Amino acid sequence: MSDLETYRAKAAAWLESMAPTFGREARKGLSEAEDLALGRRYQKAKFDAGYAGINWPTEYGGQGLTHLEKVTFDAEEMKHGFPNFYFGISLGMPVPVLMQFGSDKEFVKERVLRALQGEEIWCQLFSEPSGGSDLAGLRTRAEPDGNGWKINGQKVWTSWAHYSDYGVIVVRTDPTVPKHKGLTYFWVDMKAPGVTVRPIKLAGGDSHVNEVFFDDVKISDDHRMSPVGGGFSVALTTLMIERYVATDSAGFGPHLDLFVDLAKDTLLGGRPAIEDGRIRQQIARNYAMRSGLDSINVRARLMMQAGMIPGAEGSLNKLVAVRSRQKLSELAIDLQGTDGFAFDEHASQKEDWASSWLNAPTGRIAGGSDETLLNTIAEKVLGLPQDHRPDKGIPFNQIPA
Amino acid sequence: MTILYDEGQQAIATESRRVLEARVSKDALLPLLETVGEYHRPFWDTAKEQGWTALALPEVHGGLGLGLVELGLIAHQAGRSVSGAPFLTSGFGAAKAIERFGTDAQKARWLPGLATGERIGAVAFADGPDALPRRPQLTLTDDRLDGVARGVTGGLAADLAVVLANGPGMPVLAVVDLAGVQRDAVASFDNSRMIADLAFTATPAETLAVGTAARDAALHILALQAVVTAHEQTGGAEVLMEIARDYALTRRAFGQPIGAFQSVKHRIAELYGLVELARANCIHAAAREGQPDFITAAAAARLSATEAYDTAARDCIQIHGGIGVTWELGLHLHMRRARSLAIEQGSSLFWEDVLVDRLAGEAA
Repeated sequence: MSDLETYRAKAAAWLESMAPTFGREARKGLSEAEDLALGRRYQKAKFDAGYAGINWPTEYGGQGLTHLEKVTFDAEEMKHGFPNFYFGISLGMPVPVLMQFGSDKEFVKERVLRALQGEEIWCQLFSEPSGGSDLAGLRTRAEPDGNGWKINGQKVWTSWAHYSDYGVIVVRTDPTVPKHKGLTYFWVDMKAPGVTVRPIKLAGGDSHVNEVFFDDVKISDDHRMSPVGGGFSVALTTLMIERYVATDSAGFGPHLDLFVDLAKDTLLGGRPAIEDGRIRQQIARNYAMRSGLDSINVRARLMMQAGMIPGAEGSLNKLVAVRSRQKLSELAIDLQGTDGFAFDEHASQKEDWASSWLNAPTGRIAGGSDETLLNTIAEKVLGLPQDHRPDKGIPFNQIPA
Repeated sequence: MTILYDEGQQAIATESRRVLEARVSKDALLPLLETVGEYHRPFWDTAKEQGWTALALPEVHGGLGLGLVELGLIAHQAGRSVSGAPFLTSGFGAAKAIERFGTDAQKARWLPGLATGERIGAVAFADGPDALPRRPQLTLTDDRLDGVARGVTGGLAADLAVVLANGPGMPVLAVVDLAGVQRDAVASFDNSRMIADLAFTATPAETLAVGTAARDAALHILALQAVVTAHEQTGGAEVLMEIARDYALTRRAFGQPIGAFQSVKHRIAELYGLVELARANCIHAAAREGQPDFITAAAAARLSATEAYDTAARDCIQIHGGIGVTWELGLHLHMRRARSLAIEQGSSLFWEDVLVDRLAGEAA
């Protein structure tokens, strides 16, 4: 067995042992507050067992291993339905960026350790009402205020802000220069005076995203994580980290086996739906797509193992998987006919077709919309021209609203 | 499990691409479309000279002892350049049938010639829409073959064919020498495929496998060929994606390159996705030869590659506008080839059924 396989086996055994306490079954019927509390205990258990910050430096409480061990652990962890999503953003983007760009090392270390143990949660304050894909067009501003800064404006779609202790934020510090050049990156205390968090109820019924308002929120200059006007490149670093999160060829929806089982158990015109050509074609097409993504992802892992940089084809994962999941979920509901009306708002998107369908639009928008991803492939991978951008090179305050 | 290509395999890809780009041009291929009974001889001469015919055959019979991964790499490059003849795939299928199911005498008789490329092999299982008919249209009685095998790719030039026939109460996989067999050319939209109806009249044939084993063997041979073809389709789709990209960068309309319009650039980005999914499935399938899930992997490769090539052909021409539909530009070479490859070795409809039978646990 290779070292990685040994690691996988050990992680799988540990996760198995945690499942009765923290897994899918243990979470059934819990309120969100109870589930979050369970999630914090699970995160602490991971930390104690050496599975938190797997690929982070040991000086910050991490394990000092590679991305491979991290992905290996994540793949095993995904099987059990643990309450880990409260920490997904926090440990995925803001805290790693804090490690890289935070100026006060002692402060950073304390925050990282608390975040790794589930005691503190960080959010990422990027999108705004005026734009999500057009990040550099943001309007929230920070003005000099004594030795520090004063923030005014509004962020939106901020995951877990209502549970967050801290956040990283990109704001406009200079509206007189072109939009990318007038941004600065800070961290903020989410409990500071003037910060108001208002949950947004999403179409699926849950409220994990928020509006966040900043009214004369005062911060000292040591909160700054980029040069003044150099915030956009730090934000891009965050988005680069985002590309390395765990992949799922099911688009974070149900496994295809569940669809096959449904088709076998459903009668269509008196015959099992699995014998119906329309159903068979969708199963076959989805299988071919998913097996392609699986192969892409395995090859990416092999390349990393060999010390190579994986190819750009990894960028297809979310684009291809989530929109396929959306259509397959619709078909699964078609298959159930009137039985498909029944809806459990607490059902898992990984197991329930209605929940998968209802939450699929979020997946096609969050973390880069389909259209943005296609643009990225066209421009960065294939070298096609950028779109026409009328605001290019124009000072931000002269762009027609 | 899938694989990364090693240095030797990468060298095969680089070298075969270099040779084919130097020796195959659309100007040589276009006239073949209007000629029944001719293929691109320089392509086939190159295949023989480069040892591609021997690549995946055992060394003891004059082969090079490599496998599906390496042959797939050649096929990918052949697909990029619109392969001038179908014999690499058809000969490989015939040879694998003989290698796996034949007697030592049969192997000694057929394989060395297939390895050098002096002899051309064909595989004739299909009956119109049925890629693997339960009741084949050929009958085999006392080692004599009767009936007509329709639409056999490579059939006009082949020296031997592996066929599926009705034997005494059970299917039989057999190999038949085509010397003296009546061949009627099928005028096609892709004539260099050398498609023919083969009429057998008490033609001597040798049995390779019988009963369920014959059907299983035939499916296995089809799957091997399908993986080779999927590589060829992926190569064709890849080059069309590149041609579309290059054209979108240079052709200007409304004051900018057409590639700056999202309707065009997204179309090409979607092609990139189809090509990469097909490529990933191809690499995976080639590496699964001999494993229990090989047929499943082959079906996935075949389905995604067919979709990639057909879509790339449609969209590449669409992106070119008027010039794209001219005879001279030759994009229709790919459009035609995308369809002929989509039919050879079983269409998507066939492979969807094969795949779903396996996923649903209904495999024979």
